[in-house]
Amino acid sequence: MEIKKTIIDYTHRQAGHCESGATSNLFKFNGFEISEPMAFGVGNGLFFTYIPFLKIQFAPMISFRNLPNTVFKRSTGYMGIDATVVKKIKDPREAMEMLDRNLERGIPTGCQVGVFQLTFFPPEYRMHYNMHNLVVFGKEGNMYHVSDTVMEFPQLITYDDLLRVRYAKGTFAPQGKMYWINHVIDKQVDLKPAIILAIKKTVNDMIGIPFPLIGVAGLRWLARDIKKWPGKHGNDKASFYLGQVLRMAEDFGTGGAGFRFIYGAFLKEAGELFNNHQGLLEASDMMGHTANKWREFTYMGARNCKNRSKPEEDYGTLSERLLEIADKEKMVYQKLKNLRF
Amino acid sequence: MEENYNPVYKDKSYGQYRELSYSYQDGGKFEKTVGFHDETDRLVLQQAWDLFRERIEDARQRVLAGKASPVVYYMEKNLLDPLNLSMMAGISLWRVKWHFKPNVFKRLSAKTLQKYAEAFNITIDQLKKVD
Repeated sequence: MEIKKTIIDYTHRQAGHCESGATSNLFKFNGFEISEPMAFGVGNGLFFTYIPFLKIQFAPMISFRNLPNTVFKRSTGYMGIDATVVKKIKDPREAMEMLDRNLERGIPTGCQVGVFQLTFFPPEYRMHYNMHNLVVFGKEGNMYHVSDTVMEFPQLITYDDLLRVRYAKGTFAPQGKMYWINHVIDKQVDLKPAIILAIKKTVNDMIGIPFPLIGVAGLRWLARDIKKWPGKHGNDKASFYLGQVLRMAEDFGTGGAGFRFIYGAFLKEAGELFNNHQGLLEASDMMGHTANKWREFTYMGARNCKNRSKPEEDYGTLSERLLEIADKEKMVYQKLKNLRF
Repeated sequence: MEENYNPVYKDKSYGQYRELSYSYQDGGKFEKTVGFHDETDRLVLQQAWDLFRERIEDARQRVLAGKASPVVYYMEKNLLDPLNLSMMAGISLWRVKWHFKPNVFKRLSAKTLQKYAEAFNITIDQLKKVD
């Protein structure tokens, strides 16, 4: 029997963040060049939430990003591009058939997957994290060609493995979610209104929601909690909790420092698009400095994790640093809020 | 690729791939670099994996001593907590916790065992003993 082979000509580019990388690659495939930071910014990727009573991997849940699929949905929505998102498919076989049909029609398709059983993924990142994204762009017999933007090169995965990760269970289960862009983008897309809408929404997410666990308020809450951890849980657990914060900020495909670098790059690109808009460029500079502060914070925290029982850095100092970062971030968002375009 | 391994990891199965990260220099330049983990990443990942390994070893000892059922060992091995396990296996939380007792585990029906085996991605025979 001849092996059936369908491989779409799709360029894989490595990216810092899985979903915005996938989104930017999908846009490029459909004839519209857009960088990763731009996709991330227009798609409202930036967020912060701290949920102390919900434990992920034995430590409180911290997220630096929005809910899964926000980036793709918002960016296509704001730009007015015809895209399809299938939220939930009950039957796994049917989900795979849908994927095959898409591939035969020549549409690379994004899928939400769980990381834990993803065969090609680096072993140190195999945790129960169900918000990962990859793009399937080819099928060869029983193997699928996938482009995972966290990896340097495209990867191969078998039918059974792909099915398993697409139906991984647990918190935020993917349930076979898939998305794709329907048409080649031939009209001239005006990014400016999309950027304005996206910045407004992000600013509102970070400082406009009157709930203490979201946005800058959540960051402050976390800073105050860090101070209490050693007394409340003992040194070992406190250092593990701190490690979770750092892992969420630096690893897990954030491009470093909890997406703040990517967002700064987005602001810079947006500023250049608006004919060197002074306000946006200044905001980008401030965001860059905040991100550098974040990196200093993670570096300090990591030294704490190195020696669990005798922490080198005081948790009080770390907490103060984080409060300082929260103040700086708040200034950025307030500046963005008052901008006139 | 072989001589290209990351020197900071003693265990060569970790840290063998390069990731993209951003940085910011004064003067408004965001730069992309592709490279291995830096010191910070290595420390926090090492800490997490040390803890997970401790927990797995601890669970293994308890199962061998007859104080816990193999479900506990496989739960730790798959980095799960009881709530996640109950979601993955489709068994309610209090029943999952009830099955942590070795005597209860011995009397489990084949159907329940099958549910656990599917959640852990192993066979029923493997589930009955620890490796």
